[in-house]
Amino acid sequence: MPRTVYSPEHCLQYLEQYASKEIFAIGLILGQMTDARENVIHLARTPEEKGSEIGIESNYGLDKSEIAKNLSSVSEAWIADHARHVTRMLPGGMFVQGIFVTSDEDVFEDPNCFSKLRSTLNHIYKGLSINEYMFGNCPYSNERLILHMSTSTKVLTCKSLEVGGLNKNTTLKPVEWKFSPKALSWQRLDCYYEFDEIYPVIVKNSGVSVKNQFQQILESAHKIIESSVMFIDGELKDGSESLDQLIKKKKTKTNTKLTQNEAPKSMHVSLFVPYENTLPETVEYLECEGSIHFSGVVSSSVFIYPKATVKEAIAAVKQDIVRSLASRFTMHCDALIDDNLLPEEKICFNEPPRRVLVPVGSLYLCDYLFPGEAPAEALLSVRELLDLKITETDVICDVETPADTSEFDALDRDASSEELLATPQEASQFMYITGLCFAMLVLLVSIIIHYYDGIIQVLSKIFPKS
Amino acid sequence: MSPRLKISSYVIERLSKIDTTESTGCLYGLMYDGTLLVVGFSLESFETETEKNSYSQLLLNFPAEIELCGVVKFGETLTTDSTTKEILQDVDITDNPLIIIINREKDMKAHFIVHDKFEETKYEVFSPEELWKQFLHVRLNTVLPLRCEATIAGVKNSLQNKRKKIASGQVSFHIDSTQVYLFGVASDVGLTGTSTEATVGELVDSMSPEQPSKKKKYNINNAEILPVSLILKVTKDILSDKLVKTAVKMMTTQRKPAFYISMPLRIDTLAMIHRNTKLLDLYIVLVEAACRSLRLMESVLIEQLGQEGIGDGGGLRLPETFHYLPPEIGHFITRLIPKGKSEDCMQKERRTLHEQLGLPLHRPVFRRGNAFIDKSGGYLVNPHEAMPIQASKSDVTVALVRGRYAYHHYMQDNFNDDGWGCAYRSMQTIFSWFRYQGYTDVEVPTHKEIQQCLVKIGDKQSTFIGSKQWIGSTEVMFCLETLLGVQSRIIFANTGTELQSYAPELVHHFQTHGSPIMIGGGVLAHTILGIEYNSITNETRYLILDPHYTGAEDITTVINKGWCGWKSSDFWNKTAHYNLCLPQTRPAI
Repeated sequence: MPRTVYSPEHCLQYLEQYASKEIFAIGLILGQMTDARENVIHLARTPEEKGSEIGIESNYGLDKSEIAKNLSSVSEAWIADHARHVTRMLPGGMFVQGIFVTSDEDVFEDPNCFSKLRSTLNHIYKGLSINEYMFGNCPYSNERLILHMSTSTKVLTCKSLEVGGLNKNTTLKPVEWKFSPKALSWQRLDCYYEFDEIYPVIVKNSGVSVKNQFQQILESAHKIIESSVMFIDGELKDGSESLDQLIKKKKTKTNTKLTQNEAPKSMHVSLFVPYENTLPETVEYLECEGSIHFSGVVSSSVFIYPKATVKEAIAAVKQDIVRSLASRFTMHCDALIDDNLLPEEKICFNEPPRRVLVPVGSLYLCDYLFPGEAPAEALLSVRELLDLKITETDVICDVETPADTSEFDALDRDASSEELLATPQEASQFMYITGLCFAMLVLLVSIIIHYYDGIIQVLSKIFPKS
Repeated sequence: MSPRLKISSYVIERLSKIDTTESTGCLYGLMYDGTLLVVGFSLESFETETEKNSYSQLLLNFPAEIELCGVVKFGETLTTDSTTKEILQDVDITDNPLIIIINREKDMKAHFIVHDKFEETKYEVFSPEELWKQFLHVRLNTVLPLRCEATIAGVKNSLQNKRKKIASGQVSFHIDSTQVYLFGVASDVGLTGTSTEATVGELVDSMSPEQPSKKKKYNINNAEILPVSLILKVTKDILSDKLVKTAVKMMTTQRKPAFYISMPLRIDTLAMIHRNTKLLDLYIVLVEAACRSLRLMESVLIEQLGQEGIGDGGGLRLPETFHYLPPEIGHFITRLIPKGKSEDCMQKERRTLHEQLGLPLHRPVFRRGNAFIDKSGGYLVNPHEAMPIQASKSDVTVALVRGRYAYHHYMQDNFNDDGWGCAYRSMQTIFSWFRYQGYTDVEVPTHKEIQQCLVKIGDKQSTFIGSKQWIGSTEVMFCLETLLGVQSRIIFANTGTELQSYAPELVHHFQTHGSPIMIGGGVLAHTILGIEYNSITNETRYLILDPHYTGAEDITTVINKGWCGWKSSDFWNKTAHYNLCLPQTRPAI
């Protein structure tokens, strides 16, 4: 039996909009693979490439010069970059499952096209495996999808190809692509994972960079989360049970009447970690020059096919928390000017961007907002990376809140028994100033982006080319 | 209404034997089902001003749930002096503190204080069998990372925060190898994995593979222990009003360079509970056990910090937990011992503990080797205890080996010594006894090590090493002296018949020294673990542990086939001569 993939009907219209205009398009297939069924959630066209490579964020959507007209002119690296950025927006359990193409070529028969497709998929695979904590590559299968719609015949074909293997002569396998008319109802699982750790800053170690520190936090968080025990709605569940069975059981237990079309309620997840010993069995003396307090929450909302098992849901939640943490840290470090953990200031804050939810079809993907950024920023990523238009009110911004300074003061006071070199007032002032500066910067940049064309026009009017 | 009173027969036994100059002692007990059960006592010396030796410090060494419950007075009249009043004020477990008075004739009277007046009360004696049948222990194991400034204040603060966290209801507990989880106030469910009505005893019974109908033996060596681990909820309650959703952030604070310590705190703590305790109620018990353990940990760490001073990288050692169950005391005492610290350095501490608990001062009770929960390394420990207990008869004296030993016999340790190694094995059994009694930390020697030892002292030629030559009682004596510094008495009997005349001496040996005896001579070597002697008929029986056993470590075979068992005096060859090696103990703590 060939692999079968279920897709919502809007994906067909999405492909047709390009195919009917005979536009070449390439993009990513986003979906979820479970033992019970494989579902596609969304197709996202890769935005057009900009020539130079100065920070990807600003690249997207600014230039229209190099539009790939056919498959051979596509940059694999660019698509792999797209896949990396999109993965940040996916909750755990969702992956970039392959690519789609609308073109007039017969991509599966033409040897040039085929080798291009293969190298693109391999580029994506490699790009997604750079950071293991992103869980970029679907762990359940190395077969990636290629969905093709011919712009001339409008015929849809889907095949799969193995990636990441050493075997260069992988062959295409047929895949059955099915559209389901009804929107799929997803089982949502929510939790708030809380961090509250204090680490010493050890001068002798080279680990005084923010990047290293984040990496250490990520490693230990991953280890702890992997070892955790997960409860659903306050109970330990049998891993082989399906999620909808849990609901049925609950319904019969509480004897509530089954109402039709009732949206399944979100399940609340709790994670318990054993106090695990990661320390060596000795007393260590460390000369340290300060302390690091890492605190706050990672909100997690994952969406699982209701017939999937508890075990699959647990894996998705665990992936989600680690992936979200890794995404924030990467974004934060990419935007860092000073990577030093102990700069001139007595107290230094590193606030990675926070998570917001964005609706895609019947579920939510996510995006990240830096401190001071407005929800409108999320619209930009959704448009550029997911090729989707949403309004500002669609963005759910309150799953996490940005840090406020008074909280820092309070945390700081009980964080240590030692007297601080800096007073809390100094700290909060510093916070306000940095916060304000950042907000101003963001505002300025967004104005420039927004009115880019206008400003250029005005400027060209003022300074007419001689 | 004052509670009902039961007193453990261990306490009564100890009090009746005690010979002290102190006037006052403290009583410790626990409450269950409207009953106060007194399980232990300590003697209070008020000469020393230091708070450290007082009852509140000692209490940290007791299993959780056992609390101060009253005072015992040695004297004729019921008076309350200021110290007694002070102690009584610290009694939290009941509104009616207990005062027991014992006069010189060892007559004991118990009184509850009701509305500032003494009310004499009757009490029931709680037998050891009942104690071990009705009560069990939960043992909480976890590792908490300790990272703090290397100062007394730093340690205190850090441990206080840990206690706060544990007491805040955020932690949960998992009963090992079950589906049972216990939650704190931070969660709306208290318990999952079993019925909310379930008791601890029911859970323990359901976990044991044996049928509950099968009669279990309840004694001090069969103390039931339920292992529990601590888990921490790392997710927040979504429905809580107090949910703070601040996204993750990192704050770095610069300080003056200072020394930090980083170490794992291995929490291993006990609580004594009645089998009918509901699992739901176990949560607070476990929290208290964890906090008690942290307090003990704090005192041990601070003592080290104060003593040795740190900052230079030396000094502080990891505290290791040891649980002791001295047979005469009948309840657990837990000690934290700095890793690698020599036993000699801690003699003073142990002496204090002996004095406080009214234990004899001539043999070790609280050395590492004395610990109750101990890995036997696969050897059978005290196989003779698996035999049915015999009814005591008048005129018959039974004297047995005291404490634990391991059964060493042929073919163990992947070493074929069939036909020649019996005396070596007997010697190993004796050696293990000295280890278990805490006299030594030296590993049990192998055959080769025994041979090397004999060559080294000039008793044997160097060709002896690696040979299959037999050794006898004198060689055992030499080795014990060389390796352990233990002196032995050798008894020589010309015939098996003559051996019987030494019966009173053997009785005396077991009563005073209590060590296993090696017997060799013209024939095979054996280990004598005990003697039964009828002073009227002179009839004697010997408890023999046979080192010639070549089978697996299976207690049923060992007992049923008589590899360990009582033998009449016919056991000895009437015409052969015998040498006995009686290892002597020296007074030590």
